[in-house]
Amino acid sequence: MTLTRKHFVLSSAAALTGCEKLPPALRPSFRTLEADTGSFSAPASDEVDLISHVLARVTFGSRANDYGRIAALAPNQQEAIHLWLDQQLAYESIDDSKLDRAIRRLECLHEPLGELFEFKPKHLLQQMTRAAILRATWSERQLYEVMARFWSDHFNIDSSKGDCKWLKAADERDVIRPNALGNFPALLRASALSPAMLWYLDGRANRKQQGNDKPNENYARELLELHTLGIDGGYTQHDIMEVARCLSGWTVRSVKQLRKGAVDFQADQHDDGEKLVLGHRIPAGQREQDLDHVLAIVSLHPSTANHLATKLCRHFIADVPPQAAVDAVAQCFLTTKGDIKAVLRTLFAHPEFLNARRTKQKRPFEFVVSALRATQAETDAGPALTDYLLRMGHAPYQYPTPEGYADRSGPWLGTLLWRWKFAVALSRNAIKGTTINLETCRKSFGRDDNLIAHLLGRRPDAAERHAFARLNSSAPDGLALVLASPGFQRC
Amino acid sequence: MLTALNTNGDDQETLVVVFLRGGADGLTLVPPIEDDNYYRARPRIATAKQDAVRLDNLFGLHPLLAPLQPIYTEGHLAVLHAAGSEDDTHSHFDAQDFMEHGGEFAAGGWLGRFLRYRPRPGNAEAGGPLSAIALGSRFPECLRGAPSVTVMQSLDDFALGSNTTPITAELDRLYRTQPDSLASAGRDTLNALARIESMRNNVYTPANNAAYGTDNFSQGLKQTAQLIKARVGLEAVAIDLEGWDSHFGQSTVVEPLMRQLAQGLAAFYADLGPAIHHTTTLVMTEFGRRVQENSSFGTDHGSGSAMFAMGGGIRGGRVLGKWPGLAPATLTGPGDVPVAYNYRNLVAPVLSRMGAGPQLKSIFPDFAFNALDLYS
Repeated sequence: MTLTRKHFVLSSAAALTGCEKLPPALRPSFRTLEADTGSFSAPASDEVDLISHVLARVTFGSRANDYGRIAALAPNQQEAIHLWLDQQLAYESIDDSKLDRAIRRLECLHEPLGELFEFKPKHLLQQMTRAAILRATWSERQLYEVMARFWSDHFNIDSSKGDCKWLKAADERDVIRPNALGNFPALLRASALSPAMLWYLDGRANRKQQGNDKPNENYARELLELHTLGIDGGYTQHDIMEVARCLSGWTVRSVKQLRKGAVDFQADQHDDGEKLVLGHRIPAGQREQDLDHVLAIVSLHPSTANHLATKLCRHFIADVPPQAAVDAVAQCFLTTKGDIKAVLRTLFAHPEFLNARRTKQKRPFEFVVSALRATQAETDAGPALTDYLLRMGHAPYQYPTPEGYADRSGPWLGTLLWRWKFAVALSRNAIKGTTINLETCRKSFGRDDNLIAHLLGRRPDAAERHAFARLNSSAPDGLALVLASPGFQRC
Repeated sequence: MLTALNTNGDDQETLVVVFLRGGADGLTLVPPIEDDNYYRARPRIATAKQDAVRLDNLFGLHPLLAPLQPIYTEGHLAVLHAAGSEDDTHSHFDAQDFMEHGGEFAAGGWLGRFLRYRPRPGNAEAGGPLSAIALGSRFPECLRGAPSVTVMQSLDDFALGSNTTPITAELDRLYRTQPDSLASAGRDTLNALARIESMRNNVYTPANNAAYGTDNFSQGLKQTAQLIKARVGLEAVAIDLEGWDSHFGQSTVVEPLMRQLAQGLAAFYADLGPAIHHTTTLVMTEFGRRVQENSSFGTDHGSGSAMFAMGGGIRGGRVLGKWPGLAPATLTGPGDVPVAYNYRNLVAPVLSRMGAGPQLKSIFPDFAFNALDLYS
């Protein structure tokens, strides 16, 4: 590419970091979206009702108008939720033009693979993080965005490793997102051939040229342990070694080579002998087709169904997922050959899901985004905001090891201090690049009690009402208290 | 009366990582005063034998590091020479990243991974709210991937904000009655805030007449000592001392830094008192300097340098390892002290002692350990 092009990319990346100084109308590359306006209805019951429950689990938290919009779909909540989930699953038909406008200027979302290397890694990570936050905050396709984050964790890649600095942007765009509500075997295959994954788990270095070359087993192990069968999925060390042999020869061109980031199969580095994987014989001489043989064996294996069902149920139902739901979801996974939409339909219809009210705690990313959504915050999702995620150890694309961010509450219990600091700073409009208009929020819900019900997904209990009343002389701190309270940590 | 914070335990081992940024010259910090090659290579900038503070029959400390001698003599300070990483780029950026990430292709930082993996009392999965601190203004690479890090310039950085006493009181009421882990997490956080608050409101008097300097390094260590003694559950601290890149007029560049280093560590040691036994301090730099001095009384980027380990029950009072010497045939690259000891082999025994032994392979991936014997 030309120097002009490079200059353009770098200067606009620089503008992204410096644009906060300009008035909004003059910002060259970025503008915040406006808050929803109008008057909104809030949950009216003391316990979390079905709509609030589903909103808490299937979205990144309620926006001001969500509850009323869903309730208006049908005379009763079951029916309304049913219709709304259908809409969310058919995500392609949901108009998301408002979000598209907000992120259009984030070039990392559009650049061809090779040109991602033109970015400074720091700016690229900043853009990717910005996109992740803005999508979670603004997208109308909430279930789709939730699943994109779920798979991004499942196929975790830390963008700080080697060429992942550039390639993770392509992985998110070309591997995770197109398949997030697609089918699992296609997602798995895309991930196996993802340039970033070939870097992250050393597949690029898995080769056999001479007789005594040992394959690099890193990806093979994680493929079985994390991506498919699960740690107790019934494979052996020998299976790992055989899978590594099957995948030898697949590599990715580094930043120092021509056609950087391109994935190649190098037949002379492939171990082309016969292999035995989980009891299946793969004959010699199959070259690059070994990959598809392996994926066919593992992607729809009963252990894979069980492992993925467990993770999905942990994410949507409870830290310790109920077995009945896991079994139903796993069964559906097998019958539909890994159709993710069908699997989610089964999960969301399961009584264990419908009854699991407030049994999960938000992780820091979900906490921050749900607070932005609930308060109708305008945000540039810039460094001042992402710093909070970094300090809580939950910034997107920055988990160091392949298992991805934990999806249970235990590992996140040390983050309350930063959650509280965030709640206070957001409420007092003390986060650069992020603003809320508390008066608008209050007005649109009529009474503060309704605003609190919107934030918590239920009417406040007596203790919450009293706590809030004692602070009510200072409205921003009243809001901060609700956001920092135990009720807002749960989902 | 202080009560124990639930998840962090008051006997918490704390690891303090001091990074000397810019490539500190190990031959100036710990000159091999009985190695004639040293004097041949450094005719104008070497430390004279009689000026050095003798450590053993080969090495001395630079005279400005004399405040460290008593710690060495008392057995709480060990030196490792010819230490470094396998990064041979001679680039500050690359070499620092390499050392802090724990490998060229490691993801995140080694201290971050340690904090994710280390075992904790009661099998707690995460450290407390104040478990990891970076002193300064930026997030250091070594802590990438850590759960919950505070980048701190002053104790004010821990406060929820100004005038938050009423909110804090309400949070106390609301969290106290939670039926699950949120209750104890809330209590831990409130306790930590209360301790920080009382530290902010009281003038801190270091123990044992410890004399910290007014520079940022000393002040950072002073705050660290204060936090350790306040038992807030501090597990890891990263602190930088920058500016060691002494290409030109080396003495004017590194002498003020050596003063800060020695004064800071000596004051920290004195101030900690018995807490030194559960506080390990490691001092490292991305690379050392070329053996041969250059024409402008300086030294250029090299390889091996010196590292220090202080406290935490180490058996100090010795220079670890075997000196490779400075004979021309021994030198590597453009004339560097060879890296005879990988820095990970000094870090590994410390992490093992803190219970992370089984996780070492995850903390430092793709590395064949040959850990130094630091404790016996």
